[in-house]
Amino acid sequence: MDTIVAIATSPGRSAIGLVRLTGPSSLNILQDLVHKPLFTPEPKRLFLKEIRRESGELLDSALVCYFEAPHSFTGEDMVEISCHGSPFILRQVLDLTQSLGARLAEPGEFTLRACKNGKMNLTQAEAVRDLINARTNAAAAQALRQLSGELSAALQPPKHKLIQIIVRLESALEFVEDDLPQIETKQIGEDLLEVVSGVGRLAATFASGRVVRDGIKVTIVGTPNVGKSSIFNRLVGGDRAIVTEIAGTTRDTISESIILHGVPVSLTDTAGIREAEGKIEELGVERTHRAAADADLLVVMLDGSRELIAEDRAILAQTKQAKRVVAVNKCDLPFFDYVENGLKPSSKVVHVSARTGEGLDQLTTAILEPFGTVDAETVGLLITDSRHYDLLRRAQSSLESSIELLNQSASEELVLAGLHNALRFLGEITGETTTDDILAEIFSTFCIGK
Amino acid sequence: MMVFDESFDVIVIGGGHAGCEAASAAARLGAQTALVTLNLDLIGQMSCNPAIGGIAKGHLVREIDALGGIMGKVADRTGIQFRLLNRSRGPAVQSPRTQADRALYRTEMRRVLEHTPNLQLRQGMVFDLLVKNAKIRGVEMQDGRRIGASAVVVAAGTFLNGLVHTGKRTYTAGRAGEPASIELAETLKRLGFPVGRLKTGTPPRIDGRTIDWSKFKPQEADERPVPFSFSTENITQPQIKCYVGYTSSLLHETIRKNLNQSPLYSGQIKGVGPRYCPSIEDKVVKFAEKDRHQLFLEPEGPETNEVYLNGFSTSLPAALQQDLVRMIPGLEEARIIRPGYAIEYDYVDPRELGPDLQCRRITGLFHAGQVNGTTGYEEAACQGLLAGINAAGFVSHRPVFRLRREESYIGVLVDDLITQGVDEPYRIFTSRAEYRLALRYDNADARLCEYGRELGLTGDADWERFNRRRDRIATAKALLRSTRLRRADAAYPAVVAGVSGDLGDSITLEDLARRPGVTPDLIHRLLPAEAGRSMALTDLETALADNLYAGYIRVQDAVIQRLRHHDTTPIPQDLDFRSLNGLSHEMIDRLERSRPQTLGDARRVSGLTAAALSTLYVAASLRS
Repeated sequence: MDTIVAIATSPGRSAIGLVRLTGPSSLNILQDLVHKPLFTPEPKRLFLKEIRRESGELLDSALVCYFEAPHSFTGEDMVEISCHGSPFILRQVLDLTQSLGARLAEPGEFTLRACKNGKMNLTQAEAVRDLINARTNAAAAQALRQLSGELSAALQPPKHKLIQIIVRLESALEFVEDDLPQIETKQIGEDLLEVVSGVGRLAATFASGRVVRDGIKVTIVGTPNVGKSSIFNRLVGGDRAIVTEIAGTTRDTISESIILHGVPVSLTDTAGIREAEGKIEELGVERTHRAAADADLLVVMLDGSRELIAEDRAILAQTKQAKRVVAVNKCDLPFFDYVENGLKPSSKVVHVSARTGEGLDQLTTAILEPFGTVDAETVGLLITDSRHYDLLRRAQSSLESSIELLNQSASEELVLAGLHNALRFLGEITGETTTDDILAEIFSTFCIGK
Repeated sequence: MMVFDESFDVIVIGGGHAGCEAASAAARLGAQTALVTLNLDLIGQMSCNPAIGGIAKGHLVREIDALGGIMGKVADRTGIQFRLLNRSRGPAVQSPRTQADRALYRTEMRRVLEHTPNLQLRQGMVFDLLVKNAKIRGVEMQDGRRIGASAVVVAAGTFLNGLVHTGKRTYTAGRAGEPASIELAETLKRLGFPVGRLKTGTPPRIDGRTIDWSKFKPQEADERPVPFSFSTENITQPQIKCYVGYTSSLLHETIRKNLNQSPLYSGQIKGVGPRYCPSIEDKVVKFAEKDRHQLFLEPEGPETNEVYLNGFSTSLPAALQQDLVRMIPGLEEARIIRPGYAIEYDYVDPRELGPDLQCRRITGLFHAGQVNGTTGYEEAACQGLLAGINAAGFVSHRPVFRLRREESYIGVLVDDLITQGVDEPYRIFTSRAEYRLALRYDNADARLCEYGRELGLTGDADWERFNRRRDRIATAKALLRSTRLRRADAAYPAVVAGVSGDLGDSITLEDLARRPGVTPDLIHRLLPAEAGRSMALTDLETALADNLYAGYIRVQDAVIQRLRHHDTTPIPQDLDFRSLNGLSHEMIDRLERSRPQTLGDARRVSGLTAAALSTLYVAASLRS
């Protein structure tokens, strides 16, 4: 078994950078790094040590920690070296460990070893990946929940109910000569609906779950000089975009990553849409269209201090099909008397003032609302993994087809085909239910035996 | 140099259902074969209930027949109450069953074997297996005879170390009244086979003249018997009735009071019994809330008064059995002819075997039937057939013949046995087959006849018959696609009234048949007059069943393929499970015993957790 090494912190300059080793030679390599062949640190305690080149030249003063197998993340002997966060130093330490016998880890290899040593199952490994990639507290919380097996646990009640239904139908098929209770089709139908809605409810959290994990792209569009960049700056919390009273100031799209109520949002300000005056503005408008097409949600800005102009109407018409929030700016001006004619009642309309900040909270809420996650930090378990979502949806549709067959009084083996498929899909998340499990359930439920 | 009194290519030990198929198949494949049995007069004996088939078991018999085995043909000639079970359900879960004339079945089976070229019967008890350099060389008999062979099939049933229990009384026996094979069981242990202990039981047999039949509900045979063999045209035995009755609460009470006399509950019986075939003691204790349990009176044949009391398996003392039987309404005057009993016997862990049922430990040695931990005549017979085919193939250096899960119940059974082993006597169920919708009793010929022909077990007449049927089914399918029921047809209003939903101006019979409530009979009547007359209903039924399930099978296959794309990933055979830190001792133990070759095999190892599987998955992918 190789000992592998990797820089565990993200690339670039930082205060501290972590080099991590796992494998049987981890401790030996550490001893060589600190030039103390007898150094046997107490596990899980930090020691300040000097890392030296083979020549003896000092490279860095670092905090080192030894984890003894199997009490480590990977289940193997591990060493963590917290160096100063210069990319150069980290690189040097990494090279040094390699010259001492370590091999550079493949992507994900630490987690793979943890899996291999039974420290986690695949679902948990997926959660670790999410945890590493988590950009917000909410995403990290969701990954942690999965790590603790909460998804699997949440699926237990519907899965258990499904097995009970399968048991009833299977026993009717297999033990036709036994004196079993009549199959209550109506009851089974109701129980199945309960299973479907349980699975469906969990699947439906993916809309929010995905948002929590991956965030949403929001693009502000509108005619020139309605205050798009001012609102952008307000939301970003700084003077990121240049704001003047000259129409067409913003020529290029500008994007910033922000967190709104725990949800990562990639916010994009765009050039105002009008008949372009010149090549640069023309390119800017083209980029606006591209950014708009790319967005999960559009904020369509209007100027509430004046009548709708033709370009406003054109933008409203063009974005009719998109997920959007209409923000009517300048509500602080005394002559704000915007008439909401021409807006479809289904469009969410928010009154804001870029100048005073009035209505910004409502705007934030309106942006997040379509994604079902007004406060991602306080909601329950969410499906964040598209593989899990896919499995749940497939289970759901298998169950639905079985319900339809049941309602048509189709023979049990056809109803069961869909139920077994659903169970297989759920089993991919929770672990498989074998035929023996089902038979055992039958024999303990019914008195079988002619 | 071993000296033998006589020599064969293949020796089959045991003349039960596994042994008969094994001997017949090996001999017909050209191997000089000897069937060695304790008692020639008990060849093909049904030790327990006098019936063949049933759900999933009937599928097995059809598969045996399609491969060229003999059980179906013998059952058809001796069956006295044919019934197609699950007739109201879809064709995939329907299955034929018959009561058999117990004595006639024996006689007919022996006759068939005696008329098989290359096959010789020998009476005697096998004492020892002669093994040299991990290769089988022959057997030694109790009387000192030594018979040589390159392949030996052990099909010893419940005889290995058999111990019969009735009440506190125990005695060694293979079946009641027959000697057990103690030395052969010791031989298997000495050769290093892991041996376990199982238990099964049988109910008392009643004198039919002492039964008040009027207190029982008669159960008729089918008017249109569905035979087991594709070659059977007519069922000739006169059909009888069976009778259904119930236990009483007084009886339950009495059993509860006397549980201390039950070897099952006193701890006297150590072997594990089948949960799907519990004794009456078990039923009363484990399902105490039921105030009665169903029983069947099954006459053993027209020439005997003996009646099998199905559902009343027991190991209580014989005298108590007599008292209990008289508490059954209708049996107040009944007399027991043979008491019920439980029997414990040795089985050899089937994970010792390859898919050809050959032991990995000893070349040329095959195990078939109850010795592998199964229960049931049909389960035994199909293993016997497979072992016989492969024993003959082994002798003539032909490739291994194996069946896959997706093409047969036999494949399911063997695969389950050799990958998962058994914790209790193994019985086949339709739910064990993930490809259940594709594995129907009526398409066993389409699934397996070609194998039978290639092997050389299926004769010319059967092969011709199969080809004609295949053509007729193809014709039927074409006709179903091309024939339309139109609004103008005279039959249209009546058909519309019988189905839910609109049929439109015209509908093909193929589409119409998929509607719930549309029977093959109805479709048959809607066929053009001449085509309809010349088409057998059974052929039409098969065409319709293929048609009905095609869509479901496609979906199901896609699901299974999608979820199991890792199944073919090999597990390195030198992989030391103990080196994988994450596995608990129990998981390591299960893996080491079943030695899965692929991740698919591992997935089916019973009791393996998802975490253990993913550990294994990672280990296997790391290595490949």
